[in-house]
Amino acid sequence: MWDIAGSADTLRARTFVAAVTLLAVALVVQVSIVARLGLPGGRLDLVLVLLAVISLIEGPVVGSVSGFVVGVLADLASSHVLGQSALVMCLVGYAVGLVMDAAESSVAVPLSAIGGASVAGTLGYAATTSIFGAAALTGGEAVGRALAAGVYAVLLTPFLFPLLAAGSRRLSGRPRQSSGRLRRGAR
Amino acid sequence: MGRDTRRSRLVIVALLIVAFTLITLDYKTGRSASGARGVVHSVLGGVEDGVTTVTRPIGRTASSLTHPNRYHDRADRLAQENAGLRRQLADNAEIGRMSKQLGDLRLIADKGQYSIVPAKVIAVGDVTGTDWTVTINAGRDDGVDVDKTVLNADGLVGTVSSATAHTAVVRLACDPGSRVGARLERTQLLGAVAGGQGPSALTFTLYDASYRVQKGDRLVTFGSMDYVAGVPIGVVTKVTDVGGLSRTAEVKPYVSVGTLDLVGVVVGRPATDPGDRLLAPQPVPPPPAAQAPAAGTGAPTTPGGAAATPTNPGSPPASAPVAAPGTGPTRPGQGGTG
Repeated sequence: MWDIAGSADTLRARTFVAAVTLLAVALVVQVSIVARLGLPGGRLDLVLVLLAVISLIEGPVVGSVSGFVVGVLADLASSHVLGQSALVMCLVGYAVGLVMDAAESSVAVPLSAIGGASVAGTLGYAATTSIFGAAALTGGEAVGRALAAGVYAVLLTPFLFPLLAAGSRRLSGRPRQSSGRLRRGAR
Repeated sequence: MGRDTRRSRLVIVALLIVAFTLITLDYKTGRSASGARGVVHSVLGGVEDGVTTVTRPIGRTASSLTHPNRYHDRADRLAQENAGLRRQLADNAEIGRMSKQLGDLRLIADKGQYSIVPAKVIAVGDVTGTDWTVTINAGRDDGVDVDKTVLNADGLVGTVSSATAHTAVVRLACDPGSRVGARLERTQLLGAVAGGQGPSALTFTLYDASYRVQKGDRLVTFGSMDYVAGVPIGVVTKVTDVGGLSRTAEVKPYVSVGTLDLVGVVVGRPATDPGDRLLAPQPVPPPPAAQAPAAGTGAPTTPGGAAATPTNPGSPPASAPVAAPGTGPTRPGQGGTG
């Protein structure tokens, strides 16, 4: 299996760059647009949702590394301790990546994995913030916001997951049917 | 994918070690990565500014398109004209709203004799949603600097916590790390207002335990090195601790974090002693000034209530008549920003 390592590695590098770019765009969209929507109950965490989708499609390595890189970027762009959301994001990417094999078997797996990732990620942010800095939220608020983030994530998954799966197929040169979606997904 | 398990375990362990190292370094040394942070802030700030500029017209166009009567399936020319007119209407509404906000901001700045730089909020919080900060589109080039007070037409918003050339990050008053010197209306009694209770509540601690804080008392900033004096903070909603050495109360801030749009950064404090200027802008917030029963204790220090009345005859915020003279003589240092 190592004989194809060369092509597999360039493929992985391309996937990884695409994942990080997508997440970095989501980072800006999150603070400039999503945070201003004023969704009831909490907020959609676009970055966590996308990270979970990417990990589910590409596996734990791409998930954890791209989560880490984007987490460091997010930390640099914020005022809290450096490395804190990188920690949460690489754990989320790894954990979701572990169930990638089960993702094809049932619709419930991606839904629950991505929703669970949003809940766990939001709780993880709240927990790390209260450990490393001043607690920005009380426990109850954090749980409420995490649940809201999970609900929004589940609502968004049916749209994002097929789109990114198609994009990933196109990136890896394994075209299947549904070519109409590919162009949009590959962006 | 079984072959990946060992590799992915190695990767995650390595990443965790790096993450903890970063956290430890940053936590121990404080601002270790300020250079990198500055770069990321200015780059992302520019992008965010661009995104906001682009998405606002899109949102307006979308709202004009979702209007029930659209004629897209009729003559194209008519449809375009229609959409154009609607966009223009929406633009006008937006401009009207913005100019009203600017006028209100100008009014409060004039009452406090502050020199302000107006700015728009271009990003809210950070990705994790745990930072109580907003990013605004004014920076060092506009005169904004770290620790400047930020207000809007309703009152205190926060302080600038970091600034790049064209953007700045504002730490909101409700941030857990925020602590603002506050003064009770009509008295010289000092206290501190701290965040950490979520976006719509602040905690006020009065240092003088002999004074009874009451529900409905209003607070303004006391003014210090960082803070200009006299900016309205909020109104006491609940007295939580009546015993002990100090009094604590819950305060509802005048500023609603969810609807922050146009803010002003105070770049010049009042020329005269802030201690005397404190009460000047105080009648700006809601009217019920009459019944503050314990106001007698502050008898020598109540010129504000009296002094403010002659300057604006209709002391409740009758914005139109007061705004006209207020906006006329412009103050030095009010740089216009986009």
